[in-house]
Amino acid sequence: MILKVFRYMKEKKEPRYDSFPLDTEPGMSVLGALFEIQEKYDDSLAFRYSCRGAVCGTCAMLIDKVPRLACRTQISSLLDGSSAMYLAPYPEIERSVPYDPSTEVLVEPLPHLPVIRDLVVDMTRFFAAYRTMQPVFKPKDTAPDHERTMEPSAVHNLEKYTSCILCAACYGACPVNAREQEYVGPAALAKLYRFHIDPRESEDSSRLEIANTRSGWWGCEFHTNCTRVCPKGVPPSIAIGNAREELNRSGREPSGME
Amino acid sequence: MVADQQSIHIFDVLIIGGGLTGLRAALEIAAAGRAVAIVSKVHPLRSHSVAAQGGINASLGNNAAAGQDSWNAHAFDTVKGSDYLADQDAVELMCRMAPNAVIELEHLGTVFSRQADGKIAQRPFGGAGFPRTCYAADRTGHNILNTLYEQVLHRNVRVFEEYFVTTLATGGGRCIGCTALNVSDGDLHGFLAPATMLATGGFGRIYSRSTNALINTGEGASMAMRAGVALKDMEFVQFHPTSLFGTNILITEGARGEGGILLNRNGERFMERYAPVSKDLAPRDVVARAIHQEIGAGRGFDGGYVHLDLRHLGEELIAERLPGIRQIAIDFAGVDPVNEPVPVQPAQHYSMGGIAVDITGATTLPGLYAAGESACVSVHGANRLGGNSLLETVVFGLMTAGTIIRDLSVAGLPKDANSSILDAIRHEQTKIDDFLARDGGEGMPELRNALKETMYDHFGIFRNEGLMKEGLGKILRLKERFHKASIEYKGLEFNFALQRALELEGMITLAEVVARGALARKETRGSHARTDYPSRDDVHFLAHTVAQLVNEKIVVAYEPVKIMTFPVKGREY
Repeated sequence: MILKVFRYMKEKKEPRYDSFPLDTEPGMSVLGALFEIQEKYDDSLAFRYSCRGAVCGTCAMLIDKVPRLACRTQISSLLDGSSAMYLAPYPEIERSVPYDPSTEVLVEPLPHLPVIRDLVVDMTRFFAAYRTMQPVFKPKDTAPDHERTMEPSAVHNLEKYTSCILCAACYGACPVNAREQEYVGPAALAKLYRFHIDPRESEDSSRLEIANTRSGWWGCEFHTNCTRVCPKGVPPSIAIGNAREELNRSGREPSGME
Repeated sequence: MVADQQSIHIFDVLIIGGGLTGLRAALEIAAAGRAVAIVSKVHPLRSHSVAAQGGINASLGNNAAAGQDSWNAHAFDTVKGSDYLADQDAVELMCRMAPNAVIELEHLGTVFSRQADGKIAQRPFGGAGFPRTCYAADRTGHNILNTLYEQVLHRNVRVFEEYFVTTLATGGGRCIGCTALNVSDGDLHGFLAPATMLATGGFGRIYSRSTNALINTGEGASMAMRAGVALKDMEFVQFHPTSLFGTNILITEGARGEGGILLNRNGERFMERYAPVSKDLAPRDVVARAIHQEIGAGRGFDGGYVHLDLRHLGEELIAERLPGIRQIAIDFAGVDPVNEPVPVQPAQHYSMGGIAVDITGATTLPGLYAAGESACVSVHGANRLGGNSLLETVVFGLMTAGTIIRDLSVAGLPKDANSSILDAIRHEQTKIDDFLARDGGEGMPELRNALKETMYDHFGIFRNEGLMKEGLGKILRLKERFHKASIEYKGLEFNFALQRALELEGMITLAEVVARGALARKETRGSHARTDYPSRDDVHFLAHTVAQLVNEKIVVAYEPVKIMTFPVKGREY
């Protein structure tokens, strides 16, 4: 098989694609393949990594035109088509580069963020959006001596959203983020919703108000790419839908949104 | 680049590492109104703490049916688990503080799993007399790390992400900060602070089979050693019994805490033979050795693994309490634990040893502190109990922050600190320039892989003199080979080849410290199992190993263990 990798260096200005022929071994991930290239063929290849076990969120990239974690994506599942995924279209996932998906794996940087070098993108915009959601626990009462109690069912509901690893795969899969840099994106909204539904916080709408704008809840067009690509099963599109319904119900939808 | 004032950053406190220990300390120091910065080679959320699965121990006693738990019982289990090598004053401190530490995390927003009455759920763990391990499904580290990161951001703590620290800077007999390479552009920066805290995690990646993140290369320990600080008990390396066969990704002990059992190829629950009482929930050193022996005796599966069977737990319980490892088994081994047993084998997991610190988190070098897995205080002794590492991060992160805040009222930077840090930058720049100018010789990946294989083959689960002497010889030759090896890419932006070469230099040093400590310790204790000395020898080795650089040579000596309420006894499970 051939790993076709996006290459970019500031001093060379124009990006290019390099093809590396590799022997596939059973269980080889895209991250493993990138390490093999770095170790055997070209030690200048730049990509981020940390846990290699799909828990740290470092290695999201565009693999065969789908945002995925490189460590979790098996080469064999790409070649045999079993991990193929349909996504609502946006410019970066159009077939701009010729490649044969049955023999080649195409690896490119995560879309919608500036490329610094090769597969390394600048995450500043993604984390800036996260920060505007004021992601910090604000309990409704003063702390008791012991833990605050919680219903196990409330915890299960929260876990859907606390599982987010902020890898930005959803951000790179969102057709709205493709068009609008101001849109905070699915991960930031899912994070905000996690705090909104935390029963230890106030039950009012103060959390929802933080993103009650066109660049927040109302920017979403429900393509649901975010929920499809999430490696941890987080459903940002459900959070956004629920938040909008809640705002609608209480008549707090800002004017001119739909 | 010529060192100039623009690349010098001055803070009250510098924390190297942005995992749980570093974040907990930063939070405390920021709350005290001190200017604190975190310097980390990765974004804090990418730290290895995120991978901790099973939980955090505290004698909350929420599971009333299990009887009355106490910090004292927690301390006893920890000391016995450590094979009596832990310092009992530090263990007592940690176990006393544990309930408040966990409740504090809950108050900061961590979403712990709950029992029916709404209190934090607690599960049984290896070597523990009570269900004492508080958890957030099997993503406890991830949940706590996110909570602490949120709090640290809220306090506007400055974080230098993707800055690779190359050396600790000293002047006037104290640590004055560090130099760090900005990974994104290759510029060297100087950081000046009257207090520097190492929270860099473990060095598991000196081993070929490891559950650790790829970033766990132990820079904190190797830098501390070069700055003249001792490393303690480095030969005690924990092998986790259950890593996923193939990738060695962790499969939490919580899987056995919830009722999972280990089976050999004959379908035998072999732990009944090795630990008749605790069985699959014996401490990690005991279970790892048992699996290793089963495989060695031909009762493992081809390739060298055994089965972890969770099928009898049922889909509902697995989905609720072990969703993360279920996903890991599906993604990385193509096995759904609901339907099939999980193939597991032991792999390096934790560094019990580390930078020698006293109970306050201070090293012997004024201005330098350490906590968490990078340090050795020692609460884990010869073998750590599951659920105690997350606890150590928050308890000693907090304690060490308190020490630093107190010391800041009397400590300051020496007058010539500025020129000292500029000298340090120039020195590091020359070193990097010389390294980049080197061509030919072996490649770094070859050396790195050789080191990892050497450590696994010669300093693994079972050790003996001949094997280890041969291994030490290989390490010493690797040290020579490193000085002739080179990298091809000479650029400065995101030069991971350079970063990994700098990591390797420190890894070789740590490997030698592990090797010399292991050779000198002629006994079997906790994780250090010697076939040539199969018994514990309290007469000669109820002592901490301290290794120090003296004239560029590693010298091993011993220090007494603090024994308090728990007399040294046998260790049956």
